[in-house]
Amino acid sequence: MKIKIDGLECEANYGEYILEVAKRNGIHIPTLCHTDALPGQGSCRLCIVEVIEGGKNKVVVSCLYPVTNEIEVLTNSDKIRRMRKNIIRLLAARAPESEHIRKLKEEYKVPEEKRFNVDKGEKCILCGLCVRACEAVGVYAISSVNRGITKKISPPFEEPPEDCIGCGACAQVCPTGAIALKEFEGKRVIWDKTFELVKCSVCGNYFATCEQYEFLKQKYGLEAEEFLCDKCRKKSTAQKLIF
Amino acid sequence: MVEDNMPDKKTVLICCGTGCLANNSYEIYRELKKRVEAAGEDISVKPVLKTTGCNGLCEKGPVITILPEDIFYCKVKISDVDEIFEKTLLKGEIIERLLYLDIKTGKKVKSHKESEFFKRQKKIALRNIGQIDPANIEDYIQREGYRALKKALFEMSPDEIINEVEKSGLRGRGGAGFPTGYKWKQAKKINSFPKYVICNGDEGDPGAFMDRSVMEGDPHSIIEGMIIGAYAVGAQKGFVYIRDEYALAVKNVSRAIKDAYGRGFLGENILGSGFNLDIEIVRGGGAFVCGESTALMASIEGRVGEPRVKYIRSTEKGLWGQPTVLNNVETWANVPVIVDRGAKWFSSIGTEKSKGTKIFSLVGKVNNTGLIEVPMGVTLREIIFDIGGGIPGGKKFKAVQTGGPSGGCIPESLLDLPVDFDSLDKAGSMMGSGGMIVMDESTCMVEVARYYLKFLSEESCGKCTPCREGIRRMLEILEDICAGKGREEDIELLLELAETVREASLCGLGKTAPNPVLTTIKYFKDEYLAHIKEKRCPAGVCKELTSYRINQELCKRCGVCAKKCPAGAIFSKPKSPYVIDNNKCIVCGACREACRFNAIEVMGRREG
Repeated sequence: MKIKIDGLECEANYGEYILEVAKRNGIHIPTLCHTDALPGQGSCRLCIVEVIEGGKNKVVVSCLYPVTNEIEVLTNSDKIRRMRKNIIRLLAARAPESEHIRKLKEEYKVPEEKRFNVDKGEKCILCGLCVRACEAVGVYAISSVNRGITKKISPPFEEPPEDCIGCGACAQVCPTGAIALKEFEGKRVIWDKTFELVKCSVCGNYFATCEQYEFLKQKYGLEAEEFLCDKCRKKSTAQKLIF
Repeated sequence: MVEDNMPDKKTVLICCGTGCLANNSYEIYRELKKRVEAAGEDISVKPVLKTTGCNGLCEKGPVITILPEDIFYCKVKISDVDEIFEKTLLKGEIIERLLYLDIKTGKKVKSHKESEFFKRQKKIALRNIGQIDPANIEDYIQREGYRALKKALFEMSPDEIINEVEKSGLRGRGGAGFPTGYKWKQAKKINSFPKYVICNGDEGDPGAFMDRSVMEGDPHSIIEGMIIGAYAVGAQKGFVYIRDEYALAVKNVSRAIKDAYGRGFLGENILGSGFNLDIEIVRGGGAFVCGESTALMASIEGRVGEPRVKYIRSTEKGLWGQPTVLNNVETWANVPVIVDRGAKWFSSIGTEKSKGTKIFSLVGKVNNTGLIEVPMGVTLREIIFDIGGGIPGGKKFKAVQTGGPSGGCIPESLLDLPVDFDSLDKAGSMMGSGGMIVMDESTCMVEVARYYLKFLSEESCGKCTPCREGIRRMLEILEDICAGKGREEDIELLLELAETVREASLCGLGKTAPNPVLTTIKYFKDEYLAHIKEKRCPAGVCKELTSYRINQELCKRCGVCAKKCPAGAIFSKPKSPYVIDNNKCIVCGACREACRFNAIEVMGRREG
C-alpha cells in the first residue's frame, strides 16, 4: 500500500512499522531505544511522528505504529519538533553525561538547563534495552527495579549479579554508553563483577569470558575444540567455504 | 429486577461494608444475634439477621435497616443493641435518636428512602448491595440473579447478546468510556482461540471505592456479567484481577465463584447449555498502573506491570497475545440487568451519549461522604449539594476533582455541568472510574496539583520518557511554587511540558497525568500568580507562603487561639487584642481552626 511520509510517496507492506518504511526511503527519524535486533521497546518516545488518518491528526511512535491504511505521516512538523525538543531536554536533564544525548541536544538546539535540577553523573535513560538484551541471551541477570521516578536498572539487591556471564550484550546495546565495561590484563569488569577472559586460539586476542563460553557451549551444545574470536571464526568459515 | 423487595419476614440488614466494619458493625451483628438467640422461643417472630455490603452512607455508619417496616438507623453503637432489640424488634417502636437527619430538610427520616441522599439515586449496578448477604448465593438468586444468564444461554445467540449490549449504549465504567458492545463485537469477530474475559478490579484512585463495594457487596452480579460476556465472545477462561489490598473483596468474590461452580453457573456445560467457562482470581501486584489494561494483562502473565502501545487492540491481541475482553467491575455488573430488562429500558436512562447510571464515591469536604449511583446527566451541583448535603462547617465550595489522580478540578462556575463522559472531558477533567473529591475554600489548588503529581510520579511505571521525566519535572516546578521559589515563566513551562506528556506518553496514565495541572491553571490561575508573584498562598496551606495575623477589630480577646497554639506564639497585653509572634509561629493553623470570630487572617510569606 502507498503512504505519504513528509510529502514523499512510499510503498509500505500491511502491518509494517512506519520507522522501517521511513528508513527504507531515506527519511531520518531519530531513535534511542530502537534496535533492529530487539525491536518493539517504544519507551524513549524520540521517534514520535504525526499520523493523519481520516482527517484527524494523532501523535504515535513510529517504531511501533503499524501501517494498516493509506496514511500521511509528518516526521518533522512544528508540533513534533517542539515535543521532540522537550523530550531531549528531559533526557538531557536525566542523563547529562551521555555523549550521545549531548549531541542530540546540540542538534535540536536545546539550551543549557537552567530550570531543572540536573542528575549529576548520570548516563542512563532507562530505555530498558539492556534488560531485554540480557533476557534475549537467556541470562536474566539484570532488571528494572522500582517504578516512577525512582526506577532504575539493577542486578538483584544491587550486588554483583550472580547469574551474569559477562557477555557485555547489555553494554553493547545501550544507546547512551551508560553501562561501564572495562577490560585489562585478561580480565573484564562489568556490573562490579570481574571475569577471566579467554584468548582466541588463532590470533591470541582476548575475546570472551570463561562464563560466557561455558554458557554458550551448554545452551547450544557446542563441542568447541578451538576458541575462536568473531574475526577468526569468520575467516575460518570463509576458508572452509572456499576450499 | 426487584426494586422494592420487602420480605414478609422480619429482617435486619446490618451493613458490613468496609467503612461500617471499621466501626464495629460485625460486633453489632454478633451482639444482636446473641440477643435474638437468647430470646429463643419467647419471641413470636424471630428476625433474620443479615450482613450486607456497603449501603453507601459511609459517613453515618454503621447503618442498620429493619424490614419490612424499613426503619433505617445510623451511627449505631454496640451499646445500642439492647435498645434496638427491646424496642424496635420486639415492640416495633422507633428510636428517634438513631434515625437519619436529613440536612436539607432538617428533619429526621424513618426510612432511608425518604432521604435526599437516597431519593435522588438510581441503583442499577448497586441494585442488590445493602439488600443481600454477599456470601449467600441464594440471596442473589432470590433477587432474580442468574435469570439473565439463563435468558442469554437459552433464548439468545451470542450476536443477539452483543447487539443488545451495543444498543443499550453501555460504555466502559473504568474511565475511558469505550463502548462495551463494540468491544465485544471486535473480540467475537477474531477467529483465534483461546479467548479471554477479564474483570478489572484494580481500583487505585485515592478516595475511590466503587468497585470495591460491588465486589464486596454483590460479587455474583460481576460473575454473571462475565459469564454472559464470555459466552457472547466465545471465551472459556476468565480472570478477576483484584487489588491486593482488597482482602474482603477477594474473600467475597472467591466465595461467589465457588458457589457459582456449585450451582452449575461456572465450569463445564453450564446449566446444560454446552458452554464452558472457568473463572479465577488474580491478586494485583500493588501498583496503580496495573489498572491500565495492558499493564494488567502483563501482570496476569507474570511479567512486570508495564503497559504496551495499543495500536493493536487487546480485543485482537490481549492476554498471551489472544483476543481479550477487559471490562471494569461496574461495567460487568451492568450486563445482567441489560440482558434481563433489555437495551431499550437501559438506554432510556442517562443522556444521549452516556447511557445508564454511574457509581461515584463522594468524598472530601462534603456532608454525606459515601457511595452513590446516579443517572448519567445529573449535575455536579445535584450530586454535591442535594445528595451530598453540601459543604460541612458552613464553608464555601471551591472545586470538585473527578476522575481520580489524573482527572481535573472543576470550579464552582461549572457546577451545573451534567455528569457524563463527554461533558467532563470537555471541561478538561474526566469521568474516570468515579472518584469525586469535593474541596472547600480552605484548599490550595496549587498544592492539590502538586499532591496529584507526586502521587503520579510515584505510580508511573517509569517506562516512557515523557511520563517518567515529564511528571517529575512538572512536580519539581510545583514544589518550587508551593515553597515560594516559583518563577514567572513557570506557568508557561508547565503548559509546554504538559503538552509533551499528554501527547507523547505511552499509556493512559501519562496521557492524562497533566490534567490536574492543566485544570488548576485554567480555572485557578490567580492562585498560581499569587504564589509566584505575591509570594502568598491565598488558602493559607503552603507554609512557606503563609503567615497569620489577628484582626484587631474582630478579636474578642477570648484567648482560645493562645491556648490552642502549640508553639506559644500568641500573646496579649492586658485589655488589648491578641497578637501573633511570627518568629515563633509554625503556621500550623490551629488558631485559625479554633477562632470562632474569624479573626485570624491569612497573610503572605512572613517578612524577614
